[in-house]
Amino acid sequence: MNTVMATIFSASFLFSVIRLTTPILLAALAALITDRAGVMNIGLEGIMLCSALAGVVGSAAFHSAFLGLVFAMVTGVVLGLVMAYSALNLKADIILVGIAINLMASGGTIFILYSICGDKGNSTSLKSLTMPSVNIPLIQNIPVLGNIISGHNLLTYIAFLSVFLIWLLLYKTPLGLRIRVVGENPNAAESVGINVRKIQYTVLVISGILASIGGAYMSMGYMDKFSRDMVAGRGFIALAAEALGTGTPVGIMGSSLIFGAADALATNLQVLDIPVQFVQMIPYALTIVGLIVYSISRNKKEKKIGISK
Amino acid sequence: MKFGKRLLSAILVLAMSLTFVLTGCSSEESQGSAAASGSTAQSGTEKAGKKLNVAILLNGTLGDKAFFDSAANGAKMMESELGCTTKVIEMTADETKWLPALTDASENPDYDIIIVGTWQMAEKLAQIAAQYPDKKYIIFDSSVDYKDGKCKNVYSIEYKQNECSYLAGVAGALSTKTGKIGFVGGMENTVINDFLVGYIQGAKAANPNIKVLTSYVGNFTDTAHAKELTLAQINQGADVVFQAASNAGLGVIDGCTAKGKFVIGVDSDQALAFQSSDPAKANAVLTSALKRVDISITKAVKEAQAGTLKFGEAETLGLADNCVGLGTYNKGVSKDVQDKVTEFAEKIKSGSIKVDTAFGKSTSEIEAVKKSVRP
Repeated sequence: MNTVMATIFSASFLFSVIRLTTPILLAALAALITDRAGVMNIGLEGIMLCSALAGVVGSAAFHSAFLGLVFAMVTGVVLGLVMAYSALNLKADIILVGIAINLMASGGTIFILYSICGDKGNSTSLKSLTMPSVNIPLIQNIPVLGNIISGHNLLTYIAFLSVFLIWLLLYKTPLGLRIRVVGENPNAAESVGINVRKIQYTVLVISGILASIGGAYMSMGYMDKFSRDMVAGRGFIALAAEALGTGTPVGIMGSSLIFGAADALATNLQVLDIPVQFVQMIPYALTIVGLIVYSISRNKKEKKIGISK
Repeated sequence: MKFGKRLLSAILVLAMSLTFVLTGCSSEESQGSAAASGSTAQSGTEKAGKKLNVAILLNGTLGDKAFFDSAANGAKMMESELGCTTKVIEMTADETKWLPALTDASENPDYDIIIVGTWQMAEKLAQIAAQYPDKKYIIFDSSVDYKDGKCKNVYSIEYKQNECSYLAGVAGALSTKTGKIGFVGGMENTVINDFLVGYIQGAKAANPNIKVLTSYVGNFTDTAHAKELTLAQINQGADVVFQAASNAGLGVIDGCTAKGKFVIGVDSDQALAFQSSDPAKANAVLTSALKRVDISITKAVKEAQAGTLKFGEAETLGLADNCVGLGTYNKGVSKDVQDKVTEFAEKIKSGSIKVDTAFGKSTSEIEAVKKSVRP
């Protein structure tokens, strides 16, 4: 028991929390930006999976990890545009479009993987590259903190930087204001001359970029290969983290860290006497608790608005 | 426009002629097989000693560096060692093609023996085997249901994975410097626990004070989670980790490579699989616990050729039959360790060591096994 406690309160545990949080945080930010403009992007899982493969293929083809990341982001943008075109121009239900993207990604990535590598399981035969890890000067020399904060993958820092950038975008720019207005009341937005469709196109593209960085992190940071269905539900956990984060970038960073910590806890508790099945349940049970807390707080808020009306 | 029309008519003509050819073939075939099935029935025993014609139907594609490639290698062994005629048919992962392909092969009078594999084929094979009672079938890594005298024409091969994982445990326990080794399984099911039970028993035999950390990914695909579990085990002192997690096992290999620890591969020789594409990973592989599909099916066909193969029965093959074992060793594994492993292997073969199995064990019994080596 003591050894486990020592493990949990160690620098390496907190380091792994940040590592586990990264993909969830990026995808949750992707969910946030669309949600604020009144579109529900449920296809995050699929976008992540496709761009995870695109990153590996791109980096192997161009012999550059950076170009691999760009290729992954292009994939994310294209998928975002596909979603926007189907949902906004062709008037398909956005939830169904998202589900279609997820199904297409699961089968499609295996198909593409097989046609490139001749292997349906993973990209072992491709010489793909990974994004570099970064040691932050000065901070890396601080005893405990340096071991926790420094030495992560570049994409991890991009993820936490994105929290700030998205906050800046939403609250400090005209575009952010329009996004929020469209999300609150699209009819009112239209009446004052905001092009609702253009705004929603924009957020789906931004969402695609964020999710694709999350996907690229899976195959070019966390792991160094692509393997089938490697995103493994993180796109959906991100949706829960977004709901739990009360719609603000900082709130979402907090909720993503909670999910990351739960995941790290589940990993480290496996060696204890607790049944494996119980430990594996922790992140998911937490998701349900989080959603309940969120819906209670939202109900209260709505009641308040109802009274003021 | 004009070109489009021409293309369309060309396609239609092609389709029509193909239909004729195909229907022509199939009617011929069914007549042929009606006549032939009678003759094969009588010749089943007469054929002893004759060179057999073997069809191997794989419910996947080659290139998996494991099971299916091993089966294809078995076909080569049959040709060179037994003089058989073989045909390997990739039915692809598309499950809708499996039953038609198996029916087609059964209709073909040329094939004496049809080989399929994995549990996913067991039920389909039982269905087809009943329709073609005169054909002979072999299934590997699974067994058909023999109740009520069914499947008299099917021979099933199962593998003692607990024996190869026993040796993996011996190799792991002799290679660790910390006295702690790890196990990362895919899902907690009986086959995976069979690996675990053998692994723990082997490790304890080599070092009674060994500690074994056990984790399960919860699926066979989440490589990142598998890597995280591996890193957690390494943080807690493990320096050799055995993976039985199929595709997710890549995460275990990656984690061990990143931390400079050893990993023990599974099913195929994973050092060879990574040799050309990723030497760093290949160098992290201590050895691999293998199921030798090639050897087992060649052995079965050899017996069938001699007329001694026991159709209508399931056999579990292990070390004594050379059908499970360890792959190539890492350069870092000393001669002493290899000799020690061979020594244990000989004892298992001779029967002086009996390897435990998870089959027939209750959950609490398996828990007790895990607990006995928990740090």
